[in-house]
Amino acid sequence: MTIDVPTPAAAETGVRLQIDGQTAVLILDQPGSTVNVINPAFIRGLEEAVRALPGSGATGVLIRSAKEGQFVAGADLTQIAPAPDTEEVARLARRFQRVLSRLAALPMTSVAVINGPALGGGLELALACDYRVAAETVTAIGLPEVSLGLLPAGGGTQRLPRLIGLSRALSLILEGQRLSARRAKRVGIVDEVVHPRDLDEAARSRLTRPKVRGPVPQSHLDRLAAHSALVRSVIYRQAARTVRARTKGHYPAPLRALDTVRAGLEQGFGAGLAAEAAAFGELAGTSHAHALISLFLAAEGLKREQRGETRPVQRVGVIGAGFMGAGIAQAGAVAGLDVRLRDTSPERVARGLKSARDLTLSAARNGRFTRPEAAAILSRLSGAADNSGMRRADLVIEAVFEDAALKRQVIAELEEILSPEAVIASNTSSLPIASLAEGARHPERILGMHFFSPVHKMPLLEIVRAPATSDDTVRAALQVGRRMGKTMIVVRDGPSFYTTRVLGFMLQEAGRIVEDGTPIADVDRAAISFGFPTGPLALIDEVGLDVAAHVSATLAAAFGYRFPRSASVDRMVAAGRLGRKSGRGFYDYSGRRKRPDPTLETGHGRPLPADLIAPRLALIFVNEAVRCLDEGIIASPRDGDVGAVLGTGFPPFLGGPFRHADALGPATVVEELRRMTDADGPQYEPADALVAMARRGRSFYGGAA
Amino acid sequence: MTAPTRRAAIIDGRRTPFLKAGTGLADLDVLALGTIAVREVLAHAEMDGQEVDEIVIGNVSRPVRYHNLAREIGLATLPRTVPAFTVGLACASACQAVTSAADSIERGYAGAVIAGGVESLSNVPIQYSDRLARAVVGASQGKTVRAKLENLAGVRMSDLAPVAPGIRETSTGLTMGQSAELMAKANGISRTAQDELALRSHQNAIAARDACRTSAEVVPVYRPDGRAITADTHPRPDTSLARLAALPPIFDNRHGTITAGNSSPLTDGAAALLLMAESHARTLGYRPRAVIRSYAYAAVDPGDQLLLAPAYAVPVALQRAGLSLSDIGLIEMHEAFAAQVLSTTQALASREFAQRELGQDEAVGEIDPAHLNVNGGSIALGHPFGATGARVLMQLVNEMERRDEQFGLATVCAAGGLGCAVILERV
Repeated sequence: MTIDVPTPAAAETGVRLQIDGQTAVLILDQPGSTVNVINPAFIRGLEEAVRALPGSGATGVLIRSAKEGQFVAGADLTQIAPAPDTEEVARLARRFQRVLSRLAALPMTSVAVINGPALGGGLELALACDYRVAAETVTAIGLPEVSLGLLPAGGGTQRLPRLIGLSRALSLILEGQRLSARRAKRVGIVDEVVHPRDLDEAARSRLTRPKVRGPVPQSHLDRLAAHSALVRSVIYRQAARTVRARTKGHYPAPLRALDTVRAGLEQGFGAGLAAEAAAFGELAGTSHAHALISLFLAAEGLKREQRGETRPVQRVGVIGAGFMGAGIAQAGAVAGLDVRLRDTSPERVARGLKSARDLTLSAARNGRFTRPEAAAILSRLSGAADNSGMRRADLVIEAVFEDAALKRQVIAELEEILSPEAVIASNTSSLPIASLAEGARHPERILGMHFFSPVHKMPLLEIVRAPATSDDTVRAALQVGRRMGKTMIVVRDGPSFYTTRVLGFMLQEAGRIVEDGTPIADVDRAAISFGFPTGPLALIDEVGLDVAAHVSATLAAAFGYRFPRSASVDRMVAAGRLGRKSGRGFYDYSGRRKRPDPTLETGHGRPLPADLIAPRLALIFVNEAVRCLDEGIIASPRDGDVGAVLGTGFPPFLGGPFRHADALGPATVVEELRRMTDADGPQYEPADALVAMARRGRSFYGGAA
Repeated sequence: MTAPTRRAAIIDGRRTPFLKAGTGLADLDVLALGTIAVREVLAHAEMDGQEVDEIVIGNVSRPVRYHNLAREIGLATLPRTVPAFTVGLACASACQAVTSAADSIERGYAGAVIAGGVESLSNVPIQYSDRLARAVVGASQGKTVRAKLENLAGVRMSDLAPVAPGIRETSTGLTMGQSAELMAKANGISRTAQDELALRSHQNAIAARDACRTSAEVVPVYRPDGRAITADTHPRPDTSLARLAALPPIFDNRHGTITAGNSSPLTDGAAALLLMAESHARTLGYRPRAVIRSYAYAAVDPGDQLLLAPAYAVPVALQRAGLSLSDIGLIEMHEAFAAQVLSTTQALASREFAQRELGQDEAVGEIDPAHLNVNGGSIALGHPFGATGARVLMQLVNEMERRDEQFGLATVCAAGGLGCAVILERV
């Protein structure tokens, strides 16, 4: 017989306790939600349930979610996002730690029944149990807090290293990896992985096992580390070095997490927990965490808004089997679409298919797919040097060379063979869609799908809606992007849309700074230390100077005096210096390491002081982003921030150009831009919207600046 | 004979290039090759896999893990709900696949069927001695270590050597080539006649390629290493009677006439056809190109003239179609050996053969060489056992259209003394 044990606030907290003889079941069922997240009410519910357990007569307890395919997704981020009270956050972390410690110390065996994502606090709850049993369908087990500028504060930095060993735990905590149930079993986080229908039985059968299980480090290194302070100190040092190389000092969270792991292992569990709670409180108060969390919530918000029914898209064509086309085709096949890749000759098709195949097989080697999954992906991908297999496509993406006439011709050919409902998408980074759709019989089914290179890595997809584009067309493209796992922003048509336009203005400025006498390496170094992933000049070399020249021609034609085109890029293109692909651009790639080309550095003029370079680039970026918002190219500051961070590498910890503008204060931004205008010319005039905002004392995300 | 009310029509057919075993397609196994042929026939027909009701694949040799190869190919190309079976009729396997498909369609059990065949003679599974095989299976069944070891105890060193795969008739012990030698001798087929037929096969194949006729059926293979294989490699533009005459006989080096030049080579390749009920195709907007008017299978004593069975199948198929050989404007005859083709045409033209073997007064009929294998045959193109039947039929359909012929005949001989004849009619 099952008895519900009344706890004072079970209805509000969503944590219920049932006793069936000697077995207690702690049911997680947050009211009014399809998932469980950790918030103050949830913590209170846990406290009450754990308090009731010792007197219940149970000898074992199962911790189980009542949500279909959902265990505990982590902390409720909306509680942390808006400028938190650091002390209050640390206090809450300590409460969560305490209730988990009490759960761990109960005189009965506890088993976590992991039926869905167990992330952050969700995994920490499971780690406080004696055993963890997971369904084989679970794909997300991990401690992703550092990717949000935080750290695991429910004892995760303490229990995980003790359970699976130091080096394995560090790589999970410091990189925020998410593991599938099977991989979690392999590293020792989960004790057993079963079919979802066997989950309950597997968990129950563990209730009769002894409570305490010794730690079982899985690697040789970790077995050594468990006994040797020396080995541990080497691991700490190596981990710190890796983190610094990756974050370039911009992200404090991983290093703080490393410190708390170390505090716990070297000074004891209690010291570790104290360090964890304190660090969590501090990190939660940083602008970094605020920026990263708001970006995460923005991306989630976009996903929610973009959900919706459309007619099914299953057969996808990709025209152009170059690096981009092959990448798009591969992403489509991974997404479960049937993809036909077309180019003009069998040799080109063969090369494109090979690169898609290589991507898939290397992902399989890295454990992203099983071998049969990889084979199934490849079997959805085929190629042709003619139109065979294309006529019945639901959506075709052209990824041919960036040339308006060529793209128009491809679109015209597609209109000949496709059904009138089939969507035609152009993967252009800058050519206005309306101009490509000129003369089309059905302009309503034409839009832009601007993928970023390399497609399998870059998370953003910029969907470009021309004036004639229909809602159905946009929805079909959103469906394809969603299935590919992309974060998408829908932007309005215009010269270079959003991401290419703001990036183009910034790169143009970088080139100008060099022309004015600042060394190439200084500009790139300044941008990187500001938080950009690559220096602007190295980025131009990667993209190719021919491509850059093409984009700047588009921008110069559209924006006149605001985009004074520098002659140097055109000169370099004319001289065959196309960037990395030709061996020379701003840098010389003939040696083992790229070297800036001194002939491009005038050595006179007025070099910009190093500390002024990056802020200036960021201001240009912000100014143009605001113009895009003002012109309706982007729908909101949120879209602009997500697009800039995921598409152009704008430093994530700044949250994007709009959040950066808010942080500086619009008035300051306007003032700076005006100074630049006075000194260097009218192209730096602040955007009208920025001026208006400064005058009214407002900020982009609301509230007074 | 009443004609079926529901006729099975060929809609499209595509094949991979045929390459000599051990060359450009060697890295692709039967699953990979078969998948390409099936996917491409669907793509070129612009057909959705959802509309396919069945897939039948012919194949002779394959790894054990592909015991139902058609199913593996179906899983890679079609919805998972499409039934699949693999057929084996030696070199006529794909004919069996096509006639089975036609049967399903005529019975009304299927509206659209993929039928084809594949062979990768580059990837023939290597076998070990029967004793080793029994010992390994026995050991894996053994419950104890002791039982496992006991099973392996009887294995001798000589059992560990792989057994070379051969094309030897089980019932007679003769290889295919030796049987062809016997046919050449029995029917008095000269070396010169054989070499002339081989030369014509190459010349016709080259002419077809140069006139882009082959491109109606051959699709590129995109290899994993990024190279594209776009054409058959075996047809030789530079061959001549003198060159062919210079080749040594390979099965009887003293009195033989069969050479590498007048036999079909070991080949890798795959071919697939899309068949639909004629009416069903028209409703869905596909163009039926030719229907299977009739077919027949025949068998002869393998110890006698191993590859002569088509000479027995052809009159039956003609009779079932209500036609005579003179009604047939175009013939595709699989060329296992030039000697076998010449023996077969000679038998069909022979009144004595008709009276003795078929019990009919008149000869079946003369075959005009100008109507036979006009775009090359297996000697020039190659012969991937499982695929040849489908290759022959797609070549026949395409050429019947070009020549505006109403009726066409395809024949394939096969190991075991078997033979097949299929008559197509354009619609």
